[in-house]
Amino acid sequence: MTERSSPVSLLRPWILPALLLAAFEWYARRAAALGSDALAPPSAAARAFAGAALDGSLWQATAFTLGTAALGLLLGAVLGIGGGIVLGLSRRAADLSLLSIEVLRPVPSVALIPLAMLMFGFGVRMELAIVAFATFWPMLILVQAAVRQVDPRLLEVSRVLGLSRRDRAWKIVLPAIVPRLFVALRLGVAVALVVAVTVEIAANPNGMGYAMMIAQQSFDPALMLAWLGWIGIVGYAINAAMQRLQRRVARRMGATP
Amino acid sequence: MNAREIQAPEVLSVDRVAIRYDGREVLSPTSFEVARGEFVCIVGPSGCGKTTLLRAASGLVAPSGGEVRRRGLPMTGPSREVAFVFQDYGRALLPWRTVEGNVSLALEAAGVPAGLRAPRIAEALDKVGLGRHARKFPLQLSGGMQQRAQIARCLAQKPELMMMDEPFGALDALTRQGLQDELARLVREDGLTVLFVTHDLEEAIYLGDRVIALQADPGPGRPSMARMIAVDIPRPRDQLTTKEHPEFLRLRRELFTFIAQGHD
Repeated sequence: MTERSSPVSLLRPWILPALLLAAFEWYARRAAALGSDALAPPSAAARAFAGAALDGSLWQATAFTLGTAALGLLLGAVLGIGGGIVLGLSRRAADLSLLSIEVLRPVPSVALIPLAMLMFGFGVRMELAIVAFATFWPMLILVQAAVRQVDPRLLEVSRVLGLSRRDRAWKIVLPAIVPRLFVALRLGVAVALVVAVTVEIAANPNGMGYAMMIAQQSFDPALMLAWLGWIGIVGYAINAAMQRLQRRVARRMGATP
Repeated sequence: MNAREIQAPEVLSVDRVAIRYDGREVLSPTSFEVARGEFVCIVGPSGCGKTTLLRAASGLVAPSGGEVRRRGLPMTGPSREVAFVFQDYGRALLPWRTVEGNVSLALEAAGVPAGLRAPRIAEALDKVGLGRHARKFPLQLSGGMQQRAQIARCLAQKPELMMMDEPFGALDALTRQGLQDELARLVREDGLTVLFVTHDLEEAIYLGDRVIALQADPGPGRPSMARMIAVDIPRPRDQLTTKEHPEFLRLRRELFTFIAQGHD
């Protein structure tokens, strides 16, 4: 215990990133000295980052990407969870939709960009639709599997107590799958972020992905790297927040710490 | 009230109920009746089909042959009038709900308005002595207390009939005896009607007004044997004196001999 909280061990996770940054700094400076302007050292990226943070473009683009990813995930998750519960509880519904799911699911979500652009034009709605599509499938499949693994005894309890279908889904199945639901949600969050940034890079002139593209196209490698690092930090922060939320929910649901 | 109900006042009639799985006979045709306020035990070795019989009698599985009737009317599925206590309390309680939340589930299922639930939950928990543990989660309780919580959930239903599937089978001997006595007291005070499955002969005789003994699977083509005995031992019963009662010993010998016949 004392060993774990000593200052040296607290610093330990930071050693490798610091070394990598230093190596990158050295390599980029050397490349610049040799006449290449394709790379910028982390120190220049940090200055570019401060500039973007001060002029507000950083926060605006971040809010756009995160907001769109969150809304798209919400849409995909609500539909995926609802559909997954139905498919998990009803063998008939699962048989009925198996073929459609297996045909639609492998479509890469990015391949929907042309279609979404035709239907929704540039902007939030197009990106929302693609994020929702991309997150819907893993949520659907994982929730369906989770429902299948709910202890049959709990379903029997709901039968002998005479719970309605709705109550069985809300009060038995949904709480029973919460731990697996969090695994699905964390996957969904990662997918949503990746797809949102990809759509912005490829098509939607908004958000962090587009900002990074503009930086690249205007030969500003420092700003481009600043965005890249920032996207990584945002992704890390979101995942950490999800883990905290998961622990808190688990405690509220009677898990002993 | 129709004529059929007057003719058949039994709370439960099991009429030549048989169960087959994949062509294999799990339970040969079995008939018995349970009257209001009666405590009937089904006892037999593992594999004799006693749990299957209980599940058929409560509508959880449909019999392959015969019919189950409640107050003379055919039963087609589980009913809120029939409560079921599972042996594996750890799996039958919702781990994410507190003890009172678990009891509340029965009232929510029955459509009791939220404002009226609290007193009924408290009443059910007091009956099983869990009043002080209402806010705890099942995993924070011992096995015996978890089983009490499940019994409280069934009591809150105010069922006409309580089905119990080896409810004390997983508990240690002392806890089991304590819960047997508490169950006997609840039955006396509330006039419960109980159908109780156990593999423990002494438990069956100690608790029951009547005992149905089943023999193990007799092999294909031969009907499994069932015997019904009445337990004429005065109540309230007591762990020591009742189990030394000459009638208790005689019944124990009779049932033991009967069940052992299937094991030759």
